[in-house]
This record gives sequence, structure tokens and C-alpha cells, in this order.
Amino acid sequence: MDDHAAIKIDALTVAFGGRAVLGGFSLRLGVGEKATLTGRSGSGKTTVLRCILGFVVPDGGAIHIDGEALTPRSVWHLREKLAYVAQEPELGDGTVRDVLERPFAYHANAGLRDNLARVDEFFGEFLLPRSLLADDVTTLSGGEKQRVAIVSAVLLDRRIILLDEASSALDKASGKAIADFFRSRGDLTVLSVSHNPAGLSFSGQLIELPGGYDGEEPEVLE
Amino acid sequence: MILADTMDIGYPSLALGYALLIIPLGLMLWHRIPIVGRTLIAVARMTVQLLFVGLYLQFVFQLNSPWLNAAWLVVMLVVADFSIVRGCGLRLGRFLAPVLAGLFVGTIVPLLFFLGLILRQPNLLEAQYAIPIAGMILGNCLRADIVGLGSFYESIRKSEKAYLHSLAQGARLNEAVRPFYRDAVTAALAPTVATIATIGLVALPGMMTGVILGGADPMTAIKYQIAIMIAILAGTAITVVLGIWLTTRQTFTAYGTLDHAIFKKVKPRGTRGTRGR
Repeated sequence: MDDHAAIKIDALTVAFGGRAVLGGFSLRLGVGEKATLTGRSGSGKTTVLRCILGFVVPDGGAIHIDGEALTPRSVWHLREKLAYVAQEPELGDGTVRDVLERPFAYHANAGLRDNLARVDEFFGEFLLPRSLLADDVTTLSGGEKQRVAIVSAVLLDRRIILLDEASSALDKASGKAIADFFRSRGDLTVLSVSHNPAGLSFSGQLIELPGGYDGEEPEVLE
Repeated sequence: MILADTMDIGYPSLALGYALLIIPLGLMLWHRIPIVGRTLIAVARMTVQLLFVGLYLQFVFQLNSPWLNAAWLVVMLVVADFSIVRGCGLRLGRFLAPVLAGLFVGTIVPLLFFLGLILRQPNLLEAQYAIPIAGMILGNCLRADIVGLGSFYESIRKSEKAYLHSLAQGARLNEAVRPFYRDAVTAALAPTVATIATIGLVALPGMMTGVILGGADPMTAIKYQIAIMIAILAGTAITVVLGIWLTTRQTFTAYGTLDHAIFKKVKPRGTRGTRGR
């Protein structure tokens, strides 16, 4: 067991409908390290993130988070260490404020409620206008939703952030704000997925996944 | 107070009743509304089904055996169970047992309450009361359960990303399904609540009409109607809440994701009528 790894993946194998998506993928990410997965469409980048969250159950291999094996039993409290920012996040309904407050109603996050006082600070940091809080979340642009999702992750005190194409919908200034934030936070482990790794300048390692094909990424849910 | 016996309709007179069909069928043909065939089949089905049930109920009422009455109730529950699971487009295997359990409790509890405490029937399974009242409660439970279960699973499937997002934020299974559960129960119970609110103003309900036609005083009919509406509301609430709660134990994976194997595979568009598989 490796106690110092925030994320440790050993020989992960995943197939969808008989098509192998990941064939023995391994990765070790120490606490505070930032890495980017890259590769062609269908090479399984997003699938790696979904496996870490327990949304896809791999056919083989093992995942450890903070030294603890991911199992049906442990996944529930291990998710409390993780945050996932999707390419086009679906944050539920209601206003942006509702979306930010909702997770604090969950039993697991009840003790973190005071963090909500820092919303303004993080909105400023990520170049989000304060007036956005009253807006319906479904009216936000992709880039705004991503930044709201990142603010939510930080408010929930998550130390392992999984970013899926998070720079794709951002303008230059917002992308830089996010990069500056993650660069300044040595305590956060970030595993990101990107077609265009140049946009994620805070990332220390680039890991290229083999396989896949050229063209658009298909929607793979399970 | 009994005013009069119900006047029977003779078979020749009933046959004359079918003559009224000339008006809707004529209108459909005239305006080329393409449901003539469907209407004729529906009328034929109604006739056969009701004749069959009438004959059967005559037999059940004559014998009036508690065992036979109970067996008839079980048949009604099982038929309703199958039509709910089929009506939701869900796979039978994992749903029949929990849905039946919900239906059973949702029908039996208000039925026994109605018969035992309100009507104070010495014989709880008296055919004349037990079967029609159970039928009214069950019919409403069936409709509510199709809406409730169907919208619960369909809305999680449609909003799966938002559902997974809440899991990723640390929600336990019961916390993650709660908004979907609330919406589904609301959708299932709203028609019953709306019916209760407008009853008597928009339409004279079936049971009241039946009791009045049966020769009873309108006030008696109203008292029956109030009691049955409350029994229906209680029954639908129990059935839908229990149905969703009991099925969620078998429809999510150990990791909290929705098991898509619960949905019946839908044929892709354009393959209708083709043979194979």
C-alpha cells in the first residue's frame, strides 16, 4: 500500500460492449501533484475519471485513493475527498446560489457549511460576477458552469480534483485565473483530461493514453 | 333510506344503446378521423370484458365465500402489478415483487379501514362491499404507480449527469434520489388531489352515481364518496411511496449508479414491423 499517493491506479481494464477502452492503465499521483491525461477520442481519458468516482466499474485492476482501495463499501466516503468538474457540468436546477448550497444539505458535508461564507472570495478569484449567484444555473455558459463547479469543489474542501476538458469552454483570462489558482494550491491534487494540454499550464505531467480514434468523442455513459 | 330498486336494462334495450355509436362513428367517417377501427375494437373489448366480469361477479356474489373473494382480490392485485411494470417500460423480473408488495399494502390497508372502521362490516370480505371498493382503490393505485415509478426511473435516466454530480458531491443514495423521488410522488398524487378538489363541481364521481342509481339517498352517496376519496388518496400515497422505496433496493448498483438493465430495451426507430431477434 502506498500511503503517499493521492490516486494510485494499477492495471485498469475497461471494456464497453466488447470494445476494450482501457487495457491495463496504471498511474500514481502523489499528494499535490498535477497531471493531465491526453490522447485521441475514445482512448478512455474520461473513463479513467469515471472509474475513480465509481461511476464505471472496471473489468480489472485496482484503484486506491489516499491509500484506501476503492470498493462498493469505501466509495461513499472516498467520494467525499473527490470533486469532478465535467466538460459541460450539469449542476441540477435552481439558482447558482442553490447549486452551491445544495451539497451542504448532505449529511457528509454538514460540518463544512461555514465555508459558504467564502463564496465571494472564490467568485472574485475565478472572475465570476457576484450577480451570477441569483441567475438560473441552466442559463450559464459552459465556461461559467465549469468555474461554478470548481468553486463548489473548493467550498466542499475537496483535495483531489478531477477536471474533464475544463479549459475547453474558457476564455483566456478565466483559463489563466484557474491555472493560477491551482498552481498556488500545493495541497490540491489535480487529474485533468484534455485534448489541448497546452491550456493547462499548471499541470506538471502529461500522460498520453494509447488507442482511440480521430474525430469527435462519443458520449459514453456505461 | 332506499328510494327504489335500480331499473334493469333489458338486452334489446342495451342493443339499442349501441345505436348511439352511429353518432361518433359517423362523425369520424365524415371528418376522416383515423380512429374508427380502434373505436370499434375498444367497444368490442369493453363488451366482452364487462360481460365476462359480470358473469363472474354474479357467481362470486352468489357464493359470497370469503376465500373466493380473497382469491379474486389477489387476482386483481397481480393483474394490476403486471400492467404497472409493463406500463412503465421496466423489466418484469426485478419489479414484480416489490411493486406487488406496495400495491398489496396500499390497497388492503385503506380497504380494511373502510370496511371495518367506517362501514363496520361484520364480514370484512363481504363481496358486495369488498370487491367494488377494492377495485376503486386499486384502479387508482395502478394509475398513480405507473406515473410515480415511471417518472422516477425515467427522470433519473434523463438527468443522469445531475444525479451522478450529487453522488460525486458526497450524497448518499437516499440523498441523491430525493429530488427525483419528490417529483415522482408529486406527479403521481397530483391528479388524485386535483380530483378531490374539484369533485362534484366538474363531474359526479362514479361511485356516487352508482350509489344513487342503486336507489340510495344522495346524502348516503355523498358520504360513501367522501370516504372512498380519502381511501383512494391514502392507498395511492402508500402504493407509490412503498413502490419506489422497495424497488430502489434492487435497481441501483453497489456504487450508487442506476442499473440500466432495469429498462426494457426499446427497439430503435425505423425497425417497427421488421422481423428478427
